[in-house]
Amino acid sequence: MKPIQEIIKEKPWVGWVLFIVTVIVVFLIGLFASSIVERRGESFALQVVKPLPDWEPRNEVWGENFPREYETYRQTLDTTFASKHGGSKMIDYLEKYPDLIIMWAGYAFSKDYNQGRGHAYAVKDIRNTLRTGDNTISPQPGTCWTCKSTDVPRVMNNMGVANFYKSKWKDLGAEIINPIGCQDCHDPKTMDLRITRPALIEAFQRQGKDIKSFTHNEMRSLVCAQCHVEYYFKGKEEKYLTFPWDKGFSADDMEKYYDEAEFTDWTHTLSKAPMLKAQHPDFELYMTGVHADRGVSCADCHMPYKTEGGVKFTDHHIQSPLNNIENSCFVCHREKTQKLIENVYQRQDKIEELRHLAERALATVHIEAKIAWDKGATEEEMKPALKLIRHAQWRWDWVAAANGLGFHSPVEAMRVLGTSIQKAEEARREIALVLVKHGVSYPVALPDVSTKDKAQKYIGLNMQEFKKGKKEFMNTTVLEWDKKAKERQGTLISY
Amino acid sequence: MEMKNSPKNNFLTRIIEKIIPPIQWRFYVIIMIGIIAGLGLYILYISNATAYLSNDPRACVNCHVMNVHYASWQRGSHARVATCNDCHVPQDNFFRTYWFKANDGLRHATYFTMRWEPQVIQIKEAGKEAVQENCIRCHSNNIHPIALRAISNKNVADQTERYCWECHRNTPHGRVNSLSSAPYARVPSLKSVVPDWLNEFIQSKKEKSN
Repeated sequence: MKPIQEIIKEKPWVGWVLFIVTVIVVFLIGLFASSIVERRGESFALQVVKPLPDWEPRNEVWGENFPREYETYRQTLDTTFASKHGGSKMIDYLEKYPDLIIMWAGYAFSKDYNQGRGHAYAVKDIRNTLRTGDNTISPQPGTCWTCKSTDVPRVMNNMGVANFYKSKWKDLGAEIINPIGCQDCHDPKTMDLRITRPALIEAFQRQGKDIKSFTHNEMRSLVCAQCHVEYYFKGKEEKYLTFPWDKGFSADDMEKYYDEAEFTDWTHTLSKAPMLKAQHPDFELYMTGVHADRGVSCADCHMPYKTEGGVKFTDHHIQSPLNNIENSCFVCHREKTQKLIENVYQRQDKIEELRHLAERALATVHIEAKIAWDKGATEEEMKPALKLIRHAQWRWDWVAAANGLGFHSPVEAMRVLGTSIQKAEEARREIALVLVKHGVSYPVALPDVSTKDKAQKYIGLNMQEFKKGKKEFMNTTVLEWDKKAKERQGTLISY
Repeated sequence: MEMKNSPKNNFLTRIIEKIIPPIQWRFYVIIMIGIIAGLGLYILYISNATAYLSNDPRACVNCHVMNVHYASWQRGSHARVATCNDCHVPQDNFFRTYWFKANDGLRHATYFTMRWEPQVIQIKEAGKEAVQENCIRCHSNNIHPIALRAISNKNVADQTERYCWECHRNTPHGRVNSLSSAPYARVPSLKSVVPDWLNEFIQSKKEKSN
């Protein structure tokens, strides 16, 4: 056969055929490529009945698109489940542990402190608590709203983050209406997990980590870590929500951070110690536990997969896994339900035992310190003891304030409680020396603070007044807020 | 031309001689071939083809029909210890692993591209064998005591003529496997085909024109 160039030289139409065939081939490859691009596009497309605008705060509007997720979310309103130490039932912690009132003398927590209910109660409960004051006294900054509502990202976007924190809690009441929900963790366009609270993003930034660099599985914990962490309000005026993570995640590292920053939440009215109040370092405690070590995320236990009819979805009834052992623990553990619950209680019981030792020592040391001051102790004499009190109570609180009574990491919880007891008892010894020096015979007589009433009277709280003020506030200001909110968003449902 | 002088006994040489374009066409042919090769590369790029050489489960959700399987795997206990390949591709030797992977992968890619996938994807015979082998590979300690009469692991499967998942039905994907069974499953999303530098370039042009 002749070479092709000669064929073409003799019959030019062969060249044209080759040319056209090539055009067709390239054209088809192009079509194939666009088909691939189209199929890729399908994975981004989300079937929504009603597209969601940016910053839509109403969970019920999201719920029209995602009824299963929304319906299970609404189950966080169920307060019937009580485990041995927790659950979704409201528990009056001050009633249960009156020592806490002494430990928080001079701080709003001594007025009112309850086991938190489900997410859907967030706004209702922060309005209700005596800690947020009434019509005449509104002691808290806007920062207190940060973790309570889907309105927060919307309002922060409008007024700026720093201004949000700086404002008065009461002034934002009409804006913050819808309880914790969909948009706090989800992007309205893609439904991907997202972080909406600046403090977490900023904390990682300071460590040189980009929030976008985390994997999907890590995000299934980090969306929770927007709020379920230790934080403080930085600056007397700014009240800028900040995570004390710069030196590390442990109680000891955060203690060092606060000491260096010379940060104090309040000065104790009995012992005059410069105190710290721990929030709920659930994420930090969990990170030290074996579940985190094995790559189990928050959602794996608190929002396990659920099947309903032919559909699998994430259970948005965020709750204690003890109420849902079969869907959560059973994924990995093959023991009987009762056995697994027992295993949790075994750990929690032991932590509670140490927790109470710490509380007793701390309540006592505050009272003993007060007696020492009354008997003429000097600041110089008291200084070492007060520092010990600050650290001891911080460490107790770091475990006690976290949800799950230490189960997120029992061993670390025990270690931190152990150091708390040691420091509290060391403070008692220091104060005993001061007392003896001032001619007081040791041990001193302690007042009876064995009930909530007695303890609150002892620290000089007039609870009737607070309750009256709150009732009035709920019947006036709060109704006004709801009215304004309804005008703004058109609908308002009560959670 | 020098081609004319070369020996004609070689078949390959004859073919090349035949299709070699006339000298005045060469430039255009080179461009043409370049276009076709470029398109081929583009297809490899947009289909994330190199990901399939990896062991990362994210490669499997390049095709969104696998979202259901990815989501249920991720929420199960196996996600902590095993990837997709650990179960669905034979792991006994390198050649078999890649031969199986290439076969399966090309079939899957073709089905997905041609939109032939059924509403409920079911595992084929070869796939079943691979999974069963892999169940035994990791869980051999669990199998021995159950079937004491078994001399080797293989015998357990052979004697009973059953697959592990006929009893362990929920492991690890759960029982519902229709494509629409996890409608809003969040899985790692694909990265846009448009590279960041291009996006930034377009963005900066836009800002300038504003």
